[in-house]
Amino acid sequence: MPTQPSAFLLLFRNASPETYKALSPEQNQQVLERWNAWYDDLAAAGKLQYGHPLEPEGRVLVGRGERAVDGPFAESKEAIGGYFFLTVADLDEATEIARRCPGLKHGITVEVRPIAAYCHLGPIGAPQREARMLAKAST
Amino acid sequence: MPDSASPQPRDAAPPQPGALPASGVVEHFFRHESGRLHGALTRLVGPQNLTLVEDVTQEAMLRALRTWSIGGFPANPSAWITQVAMNLARDALRHQRMSASKEPAVITHIEQTSSTPPDTSCDENQIRDDSLRLMFVCCHPLLAPDAQVVLALKVLCGFSTGEIARAFLSNESAIEKQLTRTKQRIKAAKVEFDLPAGEELSTRLQGVLGALYLLFNEGYKASAGDRLIREDLCQEAIRLTSLLIAHPAGKSPASHALLAFMLLTSARFPSRLDDNGDLLRLDDQDRSQWDQALITRGLFHLNEAAEGSELTEYHIQAGIAACHCTAPDYASTNWQRILRYYDDLERIKPSPVVALNRAVAVAHLHGAQAGLDVIAAIPDRSRLETHYLLHAVTGELQWRLKDHRAAADSFRRALQLAQVGPEQLHLSRMLERSKDIAAALG
Repeated sequence: MPTQPSAFLLLFRNASPETYKALSPEQNQQVLERWNAWYDDLAAAGKLQYGHPLEPEGRVLVGRGERAVDGPFAESKEAIGGYFFLTVADLDEATEIARRCPGLKHGITVEVRPIAAYCHLGPIGAPQREARMLAKAST
Repeated sequence: MPDSASPQPRDAAPPQPGALPASGVVEHFFRHESGRLHGALTRLVGPQNLTLVEDVTQEAMLRALRTWSIGGFPANPSAWITQVAMNLARDALRHQRMSASKEPAVITHIEQTSSTPPDTSCDENQIRDDSLRLMFVCCHPLLAPDAQVVLALKVLCGFSTGEIARAFLSNESAIEKQLTRTKQRIKAAKVEFDLPAGEELSTRLQGVLGALYLLFNEGYKASAGDRLIREDLCQEAIRLTSLLIAHPAGKSPASHALLAFMLLTSARFPSRLDDNGDLLRLDDQDRSQWDQALITRGLFHLNEAAEGSELTEYHIQAGIAACHCTAPDYASTNWQRILRYYDDLERIKPSPVVALNRAVAVAHLHGAQAGLDVIAAIPDRSRLETHYLLHAVTGELQWRLKDHRAAADSFRRALQLAQVGPEQLHLSRMLERSKDIAAALG
């Protein structure tokens, strides 16, 4: 009997933007086309539910929330550039998918994080919860 | 807005999860887009700041790479990236105004060119106009011809220094240094971002055509360097010449003639090499592989070039290429007309290479010995001694005269000088065959 799919986030961090900077426009295009093919294949296989890039800068609250400063800066190694929401069998499968990220050889790091299976709000990603949220949104 | 450089990539509404835009962009999109951006940005900050122009373009490309890799390609990638670049440029200018001492040249340029804030629109005609102005900057008579070609490849065609180095069999740091020197020259000479007019236009246009011709030939001659990159050079030369013709300032009979020459010559690309990558001579090529669409376009521009009384070297070269393209087979090539064209070419643009080509035409009409006689009589033949083609042609003619021993010597010499794989292969095969027969005959 197949196991229930579980949810994972892939977090892409813009490690060493210098590596990307060395790409020629032509190589730039090749990397992009590989990324999009990767995305499309995963979406078509029903493993990738959605994914978004993040704007390079927003606000960061610091000092116990007293100040809101601009950031994080996309140039910083830790900044998250985007994420994928996956539903796959297990951590190994999610890792296997992450391994195929076309940005890896250009210095990007990919973090594979299981979404916690349970919290007090109920099982994440469970159909009932989504239905509840939709019901709430429509009232 | 947290980041003024970020435009709205698609609709104002946030993207729908899982919704994908049409995947992919046209071939060489980023290359050509960077050429367009360089033009638009140079209008903004002036040719004295080409490095800033390149930096802003690169940053815009980087943002596109980050956003589009996960988010997919936006509906109008070109508008997206132009808006990012313009915003980045505006930010850079605001920054520099605050520390005006840093880059006074930028401020001066802005103040001189407009009393109002800089125009950052991205309308099609404006972009075409900007590209043409940038072309005139790259082909400025102050710059050496090879420096013009390298700069054009970098800023107009969006090639990286690595790609340029591969095309010219040079190394990246040498290309880098040359580009730095070229940009310093442009800065020192205060080259303007404008279109020359009147008398000056025709002189400057000749310079632009010369550089485009050189660019095409660099790609076509295949004497050295990466073959794939080299075919790109030819395509770029055709693209830029088409761009030139689309603008009233660049449209001239000579421009049409040059484009005709390029199209008719590149129509034969698909049949130049056999399945093993070996070079095929014109008489061995499969003419059904020639690109008829390119030939039709080429003949159209040759016709356009006939307007007016001007006869340039491009007219003649296009005429020769047309003779080959329109002959149904090798035997029915009109060598009489080709020889007349070479006579004309020798008159207006004499060179040892032209004389050598003329000798080939003579040999077709009057026999191999007549061809060898013409070669022997080339005035400054010594300049050709180090060119493999002289020995390859000589060997070919000696072969036809059944002088196999002499042919073997010529092919051996040609082989020592040839640099490109397919040419070497062809020559070594001819050398073997000549040697075999010479040996058999004792």
